[in-house]
Amino acid sequence: MAYAIEVTGLRKSYGSVRAVRDVGFTVRSGEIVALLGPNGAGKTTTLEILEGFRDRDGGFTEVLGLDPGDRSSGRELRERTGLVLQDLAVEPYLTVRETIARAAGYYFAPRTTGEVIGLVGLAGQERRKVRALSGGQKRRLDLALGLIGAPELLFLDEPTTGFDVAARRDAWQVIRQLRSEGTTILLTTHNLAEAQALADRVVVLSAGAVVAEGAPDAVGGRDTAQARISFALPDGYGIDDLPVPARAGTGAVIVETSNTTRALLELTRWADQRGIVLAGLTVDQPTLEDAYLHLTTQGAPAGAPERTTR
Amino acid sequence: MMTATLTGPPARPGRRHRGPGLLAHQIWYEQLSFWRNPQSAIFTFVFPVVFVTVIGALLGGGGRSSYFGGLSALQYYVPTIAALSVLGSCYGQLTVALALRRQNGILKRVRATPLPAWAYFAGLLAHCVLVSFVDVALIGAVGRLYGVPFPSNWFAIGVTLLLAAACFCGLGVGVASVIRNADAAPAVAQLVLFPLLFISGTYMPIHSQLLNRVAGWLPVRPFNEALLGPLALHEGPDWKHLAVVAAWGCAGTVVGVWRFRWTPRSE
Repeated sequence: MAYAIEVTGLRKSYGSVRAVRDVGFTVRSGEIVALLGPNGAGKTTTLEILEGFRDRDGGFTEVLGLDPGDRSSGRELRERTGLVLQDLAVEPYLTVRETIARAAGYYFAPRTTGEVIGLVGLAGQERRKVRALSGGQKRRLDLALGLIGAPELLFLDEPTTGFDVAARRDAWQVIRQLRSEGTTILLTTHNLAEAQALADRVVVLSAGAVVAEGAPDAVGGRDTAQARISFALPDGYGIDDLPVPARAGTGAVIVETSNTTRALLELTRWADQRGIVLAGLTVDQPTLEDAYLHLTTQGAPAGAPERTTR
Repeated sequence: MMTATLTGPPARPGRRHRGPGLLAHQIWYEQLSFWRNPQSAIFTFVFPVVFVTVIGALLGGGGRSSYFGGLSALQYYVPTIAALSVLGSCYGQLTVALALRRQNGILKRVRATPLPAWAYFAGLLAHCVLVSFVDVALIGAVGRLYGVPFPSNWFAIGVTLLLAAACFCGLGVGVASVIRNADAAPAVAQLVLFPLLFISGTYMPIHSQLLNRVAGWLPVRPFNEALLGPLALHEGPDWKHLAVVAAWGCAGTVVGVWRFRWTPRSE
């Protein structure tokens, strides 16, 4: 299958700060890939290199078969890619429709203005000035400008930051719809539920390098990790009285096991025989957030740059 | 709310404007942005008109004098204030607008589209030239009220304004390219311009041989001189002085092409 994006050994420094040390990953055509990582992990720098806004110091990058560092193919690349970035802005005195129509005139085969307005949920706002829009509406306009050129590949930098819950669901729906039409999407997000909900694969960056890559359900060994059973320790019993090995957590005891069914059976039988209740009994698989925190705190070398590279 | 459906991969190729069409598209939206912003429109047009009105009220009655090089006061001031308005709407407007647009990400957004750089700048240039023409027409009209006859050599005025406006746009882009901080842009632009206006005789005639010689090699005084003939004395284009202006315009453009940045400074 063809790769929409191929990156190997990417490096970029700002002065003495090595923002990107060794980043490599691929995005297949038609895939949604989420780039995760704490602030300063190198996500924005990586994106900006792929978008052609920054030159790389070393490594290989190919986007839609073109080198984003090559100025001569820049126009073709911009024709075929769409961008929704956080630090983009538009003229405040134009209306929503004018802003989108203006951008549409720059592309060879754009979507229609009306189609994009409906798609991002700005119907009814066409005649409002950009400066009068709310923060969430401006982000929708950003999304509209990213989509107007009917791009094969879409870069989304924290696309739903500042959205309320309903608006976020709407945006996810748009993104899924775009994928079903064959658009490839590379997105960054701090919202792990978003990565879980949208991404076919996630790439986790920490301190300028890739520390994990895989499906959201499997990344960081999530699929093989132990489940956690927790409940309040019944009055009059100690941890050693329990039929399975356990440890004390905050306000509860925690049992970690790879055989959840067996452990639950033993625990509930034990409680039932004694006529006691296991208050607050819950079973958790490690979440993407657990895996992510584990990866990004463990993977970061001491003294890693604690700064955003925006 | 998001009920619209995609109509599939677009089968509408060839919608993009090309060449002149793209330019017209760009000019139209530049015009819209400008006229919708009350501050920029008012400041650009009201300032020179107020200036020439006040000067006219103060000095309008005077005849020709040697202080003004054998001209009447208004014959002297109509061209210099016209030049000032062109400086403001080209050099002044571009330095500030470009630095601001870069800082808040508007230029980055433009750069993210396939719009060629030449079309973006040509759109800006056409806009600045248009504003310059309106400005000069307004100043000429006020001057007429104070008895300065309307110019007769329209070709000379057109050529002079077009060339000078392009050159001061080039200088504006050049200066905008080296300004790092948009907050400082108006101050930097004025810091460069203000002393230059003074020694170039914009506000009062300069009778120092030395100053005139120095200012003669800088961009403003040659422009004043080039406007004086067509605007106040019914003369043809002043190619000698326009050549100096053109040289500065080229220098500014070269700096602009070499140093221009589309993205906000990140560090």
